Amino acid sequence: MFGKVENNPTLTLVFTAAIFLIFGYATSLPKITDFMIFCIFVIGFDLLYGHMGQLSFGHMLYLGAGAYGCGMFAYHVYPDPFLSLLAGVLLGALVAAVLGPLVVKTSAAAFALLNLALNEVGAYLVLSPWHKWTGGEDGLSLFFKKYGFINFQQSTFRFYFCLGSLLLVVYLVLRLVRSPYGNLLKAIKENEVRVKFLGYNTYVYKYITFIISGAIAAFAGALTSINLSYTNTSLISPARNVEVIFAALMGGAGSVIGAVVGGTAFMTISNYLAVYLIRWEMFLGFALLVFVFWIRKGIWGYVRKV
Amino acid sequence: MLLSVENLDVHYGPAQVLYGASLHLNEGELVCLVGRNGAGKTTLLRTIGGFMRPASGTITFRGDRIDGLLLENVALMGIRYVYQDKRVFGELTVRENIELAAYPTGESLDEAISKVLAIHPKMESLLDSKAKGLSGGERQILLIGRALIGNPQLLLVDEPTEGLAAIIIGDIIKILLKMKNKITMVVVEQNLATVARLADRLYVMKEGCVSREIVDEQTIKNPSCYEDEL
Repeated sequence: MFGKVENNPTLTLVFTAAIFLIFGYATSLPKITDFMIFCIFVIGFDLLYGHMGQLSFGHMLYLGAGAYGCGMFAYHVYPDPFLSLLAGVLLGALVAAVLGPLVVKTSAAAFALLNLALNEVGAYLVLSPWHKWTGGEDGLSLFFKKYGFINFQQSTFRFYFCLGSLLLVVYLVLRLVRSPYGNLLKAIKENEVRVKFLGYNTYVYKYITFIISGAIAAFAGALTSINLSYTNTSLISPARNVEVIFAALMGGAGSVIGAVVGGTAFMTISNYLAVYLIRWEMFLGFALLVFVFWIRKGIWGYVRKV
Repeated sequence: MLLSVENLDVHYGPAQVLYGASLHLNEGELVCLVGRNGAGKTTLLRTIGGFMRPASGTITFRGDRIDGLLLENVALMGIRYVYQDKRVFGELTVRENIELAAYPTGESLDEAISKVLAIHPKMESLLDSKAKGLSGGERQILLIGRALIGNPQLLLVDEPTEGLAAIIIGDIIKILLKMKNKITMVVVEQNLATVARLADRLYVMKEGCVSREIVDEQTIKNPSCYEDEL
């Protein structure tokens, strides 16, 4: 049954929408809005990690670029929510496009650590040298214009807007990974040298994927800014990279539904377990051990197998 | 002359593996490389394929130097490599493996599939199966079929029968014989009986050098004439 869901894009979208609608109305719409935005971030990260086989320790840089792109546009230029979103996505894609030529040439540990280093640089620039525009440690408080029923100050509107955004990202990434381009990414993950020997310039495909992944993460960052009505340095903090890595591993890397499941599982643990356990991060550590040693394909991989 | 390899020196880190290896290849020939394990056969093949860069020496293909070219550019010149380890892209289906190989050559998927099915019609029932589920022989056939897509000028085949069941070896030899005279091939092979059936010419390799070239058909068909050198 679960295999059928994954193989059918319509079922995937219905499944995703149903889960978040049920969760949203059973718990709290603002909280589930956070969940959905985080899932978009995990999908973007997993395009690089699960589908192309490159683990980044610095993807918060692109989430942050999106958040600050959106926030700075709304704060300094014009508080239109859609133009601000677009500015966030474009800034994230631009940062990925500029850093890509340097980063994509590396692989494995060098790729992971170079991304982390760039994330550290980005966080520092936002915090200190660029504080006039970014608000430094205090960040920026944001206000977005209303257009009739389009009102981002209403949590219900934000919930449905983020649900629509998540479904759009799920649909587009599913189309991408199921296309010949997606097959090429899988092949690069398996053996890049052999893909080159088929006549592909793998660098170009890795670079394009890096930009797409950065743009999706930036979209999640811009949505976060709109959802929270502020932008601050926690949205570019290198220390938070571990969250998205955990989520991708828990859900099942290399699967779009796995990314959604992992994002939801991580947010559930960090939001609800924290109520009962002060050191809830310890539980995450144990959970990670279980996933690494026994459930290597993640929750979604396990459910499909069962 | 299609391919000319002159005085290749190749190193793995500080260890030298090839010492001035030379060979040449004419259009339409099937040339075998034989030699003991560690003689440098696979290294020579991999260097021609562009996987390794020689420290010195030249590789000329249709009059153009190809040593030092990027791997993808060597492939686009029509040089194909069939790997010894029989590893295909396991997470992709057989059809997707073929599609991946067809795209850079500009050949249509239907045409590419028909080329693979022409050498092994039974592959049709496996087109939508994940390649990781194929047997060793089926993987080898898929690799050979994939190498025929586009307009291959030179096929480098590394130990095509190694580790396969006798019945599959027969199929692989039939496929290679079918391709003979249509496409130029260099085949690394340990099994001298197979070499005797396939080769137009052969090179014996010893300790990183090409120690002997055998062109006489009767000698090639009689492995006892050269097996002492291996």
